[in-house]
Amino acid sequence: MNPYLQLSNVTVSFNGFLALNDLSLEVCKGELRCLIGPNGAGKTTALDLICGKIKQTAGSIAFDGAVLDGLEEHRIARAGIGRKFQVPSVFRDLTVGDNLRVACAHHPGVFSNLRPGHRQADDEAVERLAELVGLTDQLKKPAAFLSHGQTQWLEIGMLVAQNAALILMDEPTAGMTAQETRKTADLFLRLKGRHTLIVVEHDMGFVKAIGDVISVMHLGRLLAEGPASAIEANPAVRKAYLGSGGITNA
Amino acid sequence: MQSKSVDPFFRRRPSAELVAILVVCAVVIVVPVLLNNDYLLNKVARYLVLGMLAMSLSLSWGYAGILNLGQAMSFGLGSYAMAMTLKLKTVPVHTGPQGLPDFMVWNNVTQLPWFWWPFQSQAFAIVAGIAIPAAVAAALGWFMFRGRVTGVYVAIITLAAMVVLNLLIVDQQQYTGGFNGITDLAQLELFGIAFDAYGRSTYYLVAICMTAALLGAYAFTRTKAGLIIQAIRDHESRVRYFGYDVGAYQIAAFAFSAAIAGLAGMLYTIVMEFASPTFLGVQLSLSVVVWCAVGGRQSLLGALLGAILVAGVQGALSESAAFLETWTLVMGALFVLIVLFLPKGLAGLVSSLWALIQQRSFRPLRGVQGIGQTESGA
Repeated sequence: MNPYLQLSNVTVSFNGFLALNDLSLEVCKGELRCLIGPNGAGKTTALDLICGKIKQTAGSIAFDGAVLDGLEEHRIARAGIGRKFQVPSVFRDLTVGDNLRVACAHHPGVFSNLRPGHRQADDEAVERLAELVGLTDQLKKPAAFLSHGQTQWLEIGMLVAQNAALILMDEPTAGMTAQETRKTADLFLRLKGRHTLIVVEHDMGFVKAIGDVISVMHLGRLLAEGPASAIEANPAVRKAYLGSGGITNA
Repeated sequence: MQSKSVDPFFRRRPSAELVAILVVCAVVIVVPVLLNNDYLLNKVARYLVLGMLAMSLSLSWGYAGILNLGQAMSFGLGSYAMAMTLKLKTVPVHTGPQGLPDFMVWNNVTQLPWFWWPFQSQAFAIVAGIAIPAAVAAALGWFMFRGRVTGVYVAIITLAAMVVLNLLIVDQQQYTGGFNGITDLAQLELFGIAFDAYGRSTYYLVAICMTAALLGAYAFTRTKAGLIIQAIRDHESRVRYFGYDVGAYQIAAFAFSAAIAGLAGMLYTIVMEFASPTFLGVQLSLSVVVWCAVGGRQSLLGALLGAILVAGVQGALSESAAFLETWTLVMGALFVLIVLFLPKGLAGLVSSLWALIQQRSFRPLRGVQGIGQTESGA
């Protein structure tokens, strides 16, 4: 079966520093792939590259049969790729409801959004999304008022609203309590199958709870790939994590 | 956790804004009934036009986050479009052969320049007064926003573009009237009504156009596109990852704002009975920014009222002997104080007070916790 997302030998160089060094990665449709690795391994850079925030120096990226190289961010997003950022990125001056409304991007063109009443058309979806991420009581509040954990949830809700085929999640549980993390894991398991997910995460418990296949990155390369048990037993992975207290504490 | 009891403020806010807009428009319409003084009526009309100009900047600066320091460029283009067509309609005494404007005769121009030709049609001029500023803004916006120019560079480019146009107009005296502008204009006649600058008809024309522009701009901010431009203001790059073409939205907001400014410019020519390079001068353009900041740039009505208030004070100060030399200093100090202490302007102050009243009436024991957070989030 053809891979849904394919990174072929991509290299990203920041003034000579190779953030990604000849990385190749394949993800199948409907999969929930976890991406782990020590600090500076290039996990976030890989996500930045897929969603078009940065451009590769060499190599190629294909998604659902189309080559993404050189496309602008909004074109990549329209191709069906959504991104959650490490630092929760929401619209702080807008209300929670309006944040979700902006994320309902079925019609991204200017003129289709100039019709009156279009803004209200999403109301039902917004209510449903708010319930999904537990923010029903906060709908009319500016997003700036939310706690860190709630902001994370809001951004996750916005990605569900966007309904992207491929969702890139950068440390979605950072700043969440154990209970919130569990709820997030449940949500991700529900998204799996309908969406393809790539999740960058440090919390091994979370990774083991949600992931089938784990890809380990180190120094801009793919170090290992496989189920959690195999990864934890892998000597090369242990070596890469050495000094940061082993993989379970990474 | 905030319970639903505080929600009505947030739910009512848009309609409260609309009610406020309608009240102001109604007041504007009844002014001539109460004010039986043609000179004052003309003055009020002038301030309303300036209010429209500030409102148009609120749309691009407050909503879309595009600080256009050259907003007066669109205003000036509209103003000149109207002045050109009215100049060609002046009685023959003031014109040369074949209706050539007097200043062209003085500058030894013998034929009407090609770009003056279409302005013999008043309908063309009225369309052009809106379409030309919008097109110029769209072209300028295309270069800026496709090239992802942001923040202070947008301010510099827009200001520079306006200065270039201003210098061009001053320099090409034989075609534009140069420093003197275009004077000795005929009265606008539409549907058999003559618009005398000191008559009620002109006042009502201004009032109706202002109401239409205000409601149009409000309707725009209530569409989803209006929501998206606010999201762009908040976090431009984030919007791209939802698939929106940020540049296209910025160009649209920028051009719409310029179109309103162009309409205001046309009305200004009718009210003032001339067009002048100062209408697209740096001083006016920066004043608009001050009006907008004072009134509240994130509120269309706030910006409009801010302009009327500040321009009124400006007028009073510059006419009084005590402040003849120092009024610009007073205005500068006012701007600094507002920016420091009222980042959302007077409109922000009103909405904070409104929130306070709402919270008091809904839950008597609750403090003003929310308001401080809004300010820090700005």
